[in-house]
Amino acid sequence: MIVKTLLAAICAGLIAGLFMTAAQELRVVPLILHAETYEGEPAPGAPAAHEHSARGSGALFATFAAALQPVTPAYAHDGEAHAEGGIMFGMSRFSGTLIANLVTGAGFGLLLGGIGILTGSPPTLRTGLTWGALGWLSVHMLPALGLPPELPGFPAADLGDRQTWWLATTALSALGLGLIALRREIVAKGAGFVLLALPHIYGAPQPGDIASPVPAVLGAEFAVAALATTLAFWLVLGTVSGALNDRFLKAA
Amino acid sequence: MAVTNASGVSLSLNDRMIAGFLSLCIGAFLVFGAGLANSAVLHDTAHDVRHSFGFPCH
Repeated sequence: MIVKTLLAAICAGLIAGLFMTAAQELRVVPLILHAETYEGEPAPGAPAAHEHSARGSGALFATFAAALQPVTPAYAHDGEAHAEGGIMFGMSRFSGTLIANLVTGAGFGLLLGGIGILTGSPPTLRTGLTWGALGWLSVHMLPALGLPPELPGFPAADLGDRQTWWLATTALSALGLGLIALRREIVAKGAGFVLLALPHIYGAPQPGDIASPVPAVLGAEFAVAALATTLAFWLVLGTVSGALNDRFLKAA
Repeated sequence: MAVTNASGVSLSLNDRMIAGFLSLCIGAFLVFGAGLANSAVLHDTAHDVRHSFGFPCH
């Protein structure tokens, strides 16, 4: 029974992750690649901040990777010094993205399923869309109010601070939305709204210097594209989770 | 919101708790690994995903 529940959640996550990869390749990834062409350029007053995304160079995988590669590999960081890193197993950039999407999808699917079971109302086909929308609000939309999805090369505050704020905001938002959505008492709903507002009153860590070599238009397009694709991801995840729960858990 | 208990899940309370916590733990582990873990290899592999999911990156 437990295994069945977990498998349904993982399966929904894998389907949503596959869908997410297709959605990303349409708009989000091209914007990232475009932004990376500016990344190396010196910004007025801001040092080009980081290095990353080494080209995977495993010869064994080269032909396999080329077959899986629909996007011309526009590795913006070739020639930069990178002592460590590189894509796992020397995979192509696209395969890395695909696998990361599958893992992330399964992860979010399990989180959604786990919260559903613990609250006593796991997603069904009817409620899955709502569950998905709430997941998107707490993991993407509300944290994005303080830390909008950022392109490579954008100025940003210290990574650890931002991750801490992001995690806290996500957890508080999920808790707040849960109180608002699942509890009937007006006090609980009020407390939920307070929880939603708290991290934004505290404030997200912001960079000291906002000069950037990447055009702002790209950033605006990217923020909208990222939020839209993640919304689609969560709606698919919620609906598929619900459908699988209906089908397999009811039968048991 | 239209969340009801009419899901047809017939787990006992104990089973439900185990399944729920197990699910949360594995899920959090996977999301952390793909989205937040401070490893260069994981970062580079999941780079585009981290940016498009809005995880704090770099």
